[in-house]
Amino acid sequence: MGYPYSHEKEVRLISRGFGDPAARTLDGWKAMGGYEGLEKALEVGPSGVIDEVKASGLRGRGGAGFPAGVKWSFMPEKGERPHYLLCNADESEPGTFKDRELIRWLPHQLIEGCLIGSYAIGAEHCYIYLRGEFFETTQVLARALEEAYAAGYVGENILGSGVTIDITLHVGAGAYICGEETGLMNSLEGRRGLPRVKPPFPAAAGFFKSPTTINNVETLSVVPHLLTNGGEWYRQWGTEKSPGTKLFCVSGHVRKPGNYELPLGFPMMELIEDVCGGIRDGNELKAVIPGGASVPIMNVSDCLECSLDYEGVAKAGSMLGCASVIVMDETTDIVKQVRRLVQFFSHESCGQCTPCREGTTWLTRILSRIEDGRGTEQDLDTLLDLGEQMTGTTICVLSDSAAAPVASSIQKFRDEYLALIRRGERVGAA
Amino acid sequence: MSDSKQSVPFRNPGWAGNTGEFELTEEQVRGDDFVGTRPPDGGHPSVSTSYPYMKVEKEPDAPLFEGAYQQRFEKILSRYPDRQAALLPVLNLAEELRGHVSAGTMDEVAKLLDLPDAYVRGVVTFYTMYNRQSVGRHLIQVCTNVSCNLCGGDEVLAAFLEHTGTEPGEISEDGNFTVIEVECLAACGFPTAVQINSRYFENVTPQDVPPILERLKAEVAASSDSGS
Ligand SMILES: Cc1cc2nc3c(=O)[nH]c(=O)nc-3n(C[C@H](O)[C@H](O)[C@H](O)COP(=O)(O)O)c2cc1C
Ligand code: SF4
Ligand code: FES
Repeated sequence: MGYPYSHEKEVRLISRGFGDPAARTLDGWKAMGGYEGLEKALEVGPSGVIDEVKASGLRGRGGAGFPAGVKWSFMPEKGERPHYLLCNADESEPGTFKDRELIRWLPHQLIEGCLIGSYAIGAEHCYIYLRGEFFETTQVLARALEEAYAAGYVGENILGSGVTIDITLHVGAGAYICGEETGLMNSLEGRRGLPRVKPPFPAAAGFFKSPTTINNVETLSVVPHLLTNGGEWYRQWGTEKSPGTKLFCVSGHVRKPGNYELPLGFPMMELIEDVCGGIRDGNELKAVIPGGASVPIMNVSDCLECSLDYEGVAKAGSMLGCASVIVMDETTDIVKQVRRLVQFFSHESCGQCTPCREGTTWLTRILSRIEDGRGTEQDLDTLLDLGEQMTGTTICVLSDSAAAPVASSIQKFRDEYLALIRRGERVGAA
Repeated sequence: MSDSKQSVPFRNPGWAGNTGEFELTEEQVRGDDFVGTRPPDGGHPSVSTSYPYMKVEKEPDAPLFEGAYQQRFEKILSRYPDRQAALLPVLNLAEELRGHVSAGTMDEVAKLLDLPDAYVRGVVTFYTMYNRQSVGRHLIQVCTNVSCNLCGGDEVLAAFLEHTGTEPGEISEDGNFTVIEVECLAACGFPTAVQINSRYFENVTPQDVPPILERLKAEVAASSDSGS
């Protein structure tokens, strides 16, 4: 079920069990068909697992949308160095709140996904990297993992198959950049979470220079279902290029914010107007950020025809990202919200690359100046120019992410910037 | 923006769950069973290592590590390819015990893990969850990032500061509270999200702030009564 609200249009594959405290336990998960996927995986072998995941077309849910089965097939044959699966549970993209729900309602679903993923890539050890703030969430997962160890699903000789897979919970300490895959690896090695230059890619030399695959919580949570039902089954939902269902995290000015599991390709306006009960107070829609804080902002006309799949959102000029739909109504002060976002990126920049370190600071300063009514029209050109220099020039894409909302908001809501600059007028201010 | 909550149809002061569609109790969503209690000392080493748990009573002078903490420290070491990789969990453990990670604590941890002092300091300063100074019994972190901000996060932050009589980062006179701003807590559908020690409080409005503070004070009183 969706949580904290549900809707009849939802297709509940990975969210079945949200809001049901019984689903957290091993018995509860088994009653829902749990650990059948693992048994199936052990029957068909690692390459069989990869084939099913490839057939499903499942794309990574951590933001980039790279096909999971293809990623797994990049892993080399077993050699001297151990293989690792890392599960990315660092969820800290503003607007995104799905991984926490997946873990706290269905911890065994994730554990099963980690086991199948590890088996497929030949890893005997999987680390789940949780963001430091998730104490409660980690506690739920810890209890489930304890149960799974005791029941012989995790550890040595799983279900008598001779396969060994350990899963260790690792908790971070508060840094958005540790969600970036190579930053996460550094952090897990006990370093500052600085992203690494690629290549080498993780499949060649990742965690402790060993072949490593990294996947998001939601990606791994889908995997057990693909084994139980077959990869093709997943394609009955979604589009040709974006198959399956996705958790949409809707926040901001809708009547019913929350997580909704819907087929990819679902119309954006139907999500806002129907599933989420429309805009609060009967207000008008003004803007949407469709994929979490790092993607371009959309105005109403971009939203009208937009379908929520990777291609559909790209066509509308933005990115699906992690499908974190942030909805803003007519009372929103766009300049303030963009400044707040850029301030976030400035705080979270790891500081390795000059365009990012300096650029995020400058963007914040100039936006604050405009917000205070002390900006000039020239500032808008400076912002756009800075944004361009920050795009495609750095080790990771945090820099691009910081520039995206600025450039798109100037393009789409220029009037609002100009009003502030010319008359010091501000939308939504008392 | 103060009207921003009016149309949100459900209101549980401080936690999200019972929306009319879900007949859940607070206990079922975030009961003491798994929230606010200390992580288990025993159990499998993969599971019971270290979570960044913030206790109400901190012991800044406690030794690193003795008794149950020593056992947990050793379990942590057993889960990683080398000692350096255990650094974050060990720092988490030190912070749980002492409430903050002072320069002295950093050096002690460096010794425990055979790492250079400067290296450990470099790592500690990279991460925001290591308090380098002591904080109140309850560390209140208010999210003011975009989703919460749209629904009044700034007002909630202001209310916490007002009712505790503090500036950001200060310890209140009674030693109970420190209030700071925090980046997105991954609870954006339940604005405003507030983390207090290890617990999430959700759907917090300025009006909820006084009762939440009362609840926290009662917990402080209860914990000093029981002598722990
Ligand atoms: C700055 C930055 C932050 C990121 N944060 C996260 C995150 O919190 N969680 C996540 O799963 N992926 C995050 N990613 C994406 C990861 O780098 C990686 O692509 C993803 O975990 C791969 O998993 P997937 O293939 O299953 O999507 C982030 C990327 C960047 C550049
Ligand atoms: S782009 Fe920014 S966050 Fe990414 S590596 Fe460079 S400085 Fe660090
Ligand atoms: S924006 Fe406040 S929890 Fe995400």
